[in-house]
Amino acid sequence: MNAIFAIAQKDLRLLFRDRGNMFFTFGFPVLLAIFFGFVFGGEGATSKMDLALVNESSSELAAGIAKDLRADSSFEVIVMPTRESAIDLVRAGKVTAAVVLPVTLEDGIEGLFNGSGIPIEAIVDPARRAEAGLIQGKLNELAFRQLPKLFGNISQSAKLFDGARKSLSEAKNLDPTQRLAANALIFASEQFMKSLPQEADTSEPDASAKAWSPVNVSINELPARKGAPRSSFDVSIPQGIVWGLAGCISAFAAGVVSERARGTLDRLRLAPITRTDLLAGKGLACFIAALLVQGLLVALAVVAFGSNVAQPFMVAVACIASAFAFSGLAMLVAGIARTEAEANGAGRGAILILAMIGGGTIPLFFMPPFMRSLSNASPFRWTVTAIEGPFWRDTPLSEQWFPLMVLFVIGIVGFFIGSRAVGRPFSR
Amino acid sequence: MLALRDIRKSFGAVVAVDGLSFEVGAGEVFGLLGPNGAGKSTAIAIATGLLTPDSGSVDLLGLGSPSSPAVRMHLGLAPQEITLYDDLTARENLTFFARLYGVRDIAARVDELLTLVELSERAKDRVSTFSGGMKRRLNLAAALVHDPQLLLLDEPTAGVDPQSRNRILELVRGLAASGKSIVYTTHYMEEAAKICDRVGIVDRGRMLEVGSVAELLARHGKDTDLETVFLTLTGRSLRE
Repeated sequence: MNAIFAIAQKDLRLLFRDRGNMFFTFGFPVLLAIFFGFVFGGEGATSKMDLALVNESSSELAAGIAKDLRADSSFEVIVMPTRESAIDLVRAGKVTAAVVLPVTLEDGIEGLFNGSGIPIEAIVDPARRAEAGLIQGKLNELAFRQLPKLFGNISQSAKLFDGARKSLSEAKNLDPTQRLAANALIFASEQFMKSLPQEADTSEPDASAKAWSPVNVSINELPARKGAPRSSFDVSIPQGIVWGLAGCISAFAAGVVSERARGTLDRLRLAPITRTDLLAGKGLACFIAALLVQGLLVALAVVAFGSNVAQPFMVAVACIASAFAFSGLAMLVAGIARTEAEANGAGRGAILILAMIGGGTIPLFFMPPFMRSLSNASPFRWTVTAIEGPFWRDTPLSEQWFPLMVLFVIGIVGFFIGSRAVGRPFSR
Repeated sequence: MLALRDIRKSFGAVVAVDGLSFEVGAGEVFGLLGPNGAGKSTAIAIATGLLTPDSGSVDLLGLGSPSSPAVRMHLGLAPQEITLYDDLTARENLTFFARLYGVRDIAARVDELLTLVELSERAKDRVSTFSGGMKRRLNLAAALVHDPQLLLLDEPTAGVDPQSRNRILELVRGLAASGKSIVYTTHYMEEAAKICDRVGIVDRGRMLEVGSVAELLARHGKDTDLETVFLTLTGRSLRE
C-alpha cells in the first residue's frame, strides 16, 4: 500500500507543480462554470440592477433616500455628479436607469398633503422598459420609508403641519364641518408627534420607523420547484465538473505517456511492485484530483451561488463514481496514445469533443433530440446525468442507479485497457 | 551473480538480440560494448525483466528470472535516459524511489546517497535546474537507493563534463570494490579500459568477443588499443 500512496502522492505533487495542468484542471472549470452561470441567466436571486444616482438636493430627505438606495440589495448604485453624466451611462447601456433627486425634492414634502408627492425622477432606456416598473415601485418604497424620519423630527414635522394648514386655508371647496374636522386632525397629529420621544439620530430606519408603516410587506422566496434548477448555476456547475474531469484526464493521461516516453515508467516497473500497484497508484492520484475538482465546484455552487443540493449523499456518490470512471479513462487514453504528441494532440482533442457533446458547453436539456442521443456516447454525459439528478433534479433513487452503473463500467473498462499502457515494454 | 544464456529477441522482422550469452561475477565490472543498435539496451532490458526474451534464460543470484518482483529487488538500473522527475527536488526523487523499494530509514539513506553523488547542497532544488552532469549523478543515486547487489548502468556518462564523468567512474569502481556486480555499457573505449574487469563486444545482437581488456589486446596484437579492437570486430561502416 505504501508504494501505491507513494505513486499517488508523487503524481499529485507533479500535478500541483505544473501551472498549466493546474489551470486546466481547477481554474478553467471554475471560470467556465461561473461564466456559463451568468450567460444562462445568472442575474437571478443574487445579482443586482445597476443604477446611476444623481443627488441635486442638499436636504436630509434626499440624503436618506440616497443612503437607502445604496444600501438596497436590489441595486448596484453608481453616484454621478450630474444628470448629464448619469444619462450618458444609461445611453451607453452601463446602467439600467438614472435616478435623479432634484433640487425641488424637499419642496415636495408640502405636496404630501395635496397629492403632488415628493418628486423623484427616473430616466430609463426604452429598451429596459420592463425594469422601469420595478424601479418605480422601489423608489416609492424608499421615499415612503423617509416619512417616519420626517414626522419624527420636530422642525421638519412643524414645517409639514404648517404646510398642511396653509393648504387647508387655501382650499375652497370644503364646507365648514370638513374644514373644522381637517383642522382638528392636523392639530391632533401635531400633538401626537410632539408627544413622541425625539431620536438623537433619525438617519436609521429603526424599530420606531416600522411603527409608521401602514403596510408590512415581507418578501419571501418561493421554495425551489422540484425538478427545476434554482438558478442557472445549478446547471453550469455540472458543466464545470465536465471540464474539470476533462482536465484531469488530459493531465494524467499525458503524464503516463510522458513517463513512458522519458523512461521513468520503466524505473517504476522495475521496482518490486506489481502492475496492479502501479496502476492503482496512478489511478488513485487521478481519482483524488477528480474528487477535488468536483468538491471545489459543488462547494462553490453552495457557498457562492446559493445552490441547494437536493440529495447531498447521492451527489457525493455521483462524484465518486465520476472520479472512478475518469481515472479509468485517463488510463485508457494513456494506453491508446503512443507518444506524448498523440496524448497532447489527438487525446486532448478527443476529450474536448466528448466533453462538448456530453454537456460541457450546452446543457443536455437544451440539446435537440438527435444531439441528446449522440451525447449517450460521451462518458461526460453520464457524469452530468449522475450529478444533476441528486444535485437539483431531485430524481428518485430508482432513476439514479443507471448512470452510476454506466460510470462504474466505464471506469473498469478504462482500467482494464489502460493496464496495457503501464505494461507496454521499452520503446526500443 | 547474473547469467544470460542464449538470449534471442526480435521486434517484428528485426532481430535485436541473437543468441547472446554472458555472465557477471560478484564484485565484477562487466563492460558491454557495441555500436548503436548492437542490442546492448535490449540485452539490459531483458536482464532487468522489463523485456521478455523470445528464447533463452536469465538468472539473477540463482533466484531465477527478474520478472518476479522479489528477484528485481536485488537489481538497480540507471537507464540511458535521465529517468527522474524534473519538477521534484533531488531529495523528493530519491525519497519517492526509496518508498517504492520499501527502504526502512529513508531519510538517512537519501542523505547518504546525496553525499555520495555530491548533491547534498542541491537536495532541495528541483531537478529541472540541474546540469547534465548533476542529473547523471542523481540518476545513478536513484539506482542505488535500495542498495542492490547488481547494478546495470546504461551509458551513465553520456553527455557529461569531465569532472562529473570522473566522479561517476570513481563511484563505479568504489561500488565494485564493495562487492557489487556491475554491467556497464558505454561508447567510450577509454572508460571501459579504465574501469571494466572484463568486456564483451556485441554487434547485431551477437557477442563477438568476451574477456579482460588485456586478453582482448593480446588476441589482436600488443601494440593495439581497445578502440582499434572494437573497430576491427564491428567494422568501420557508419551505423544508423
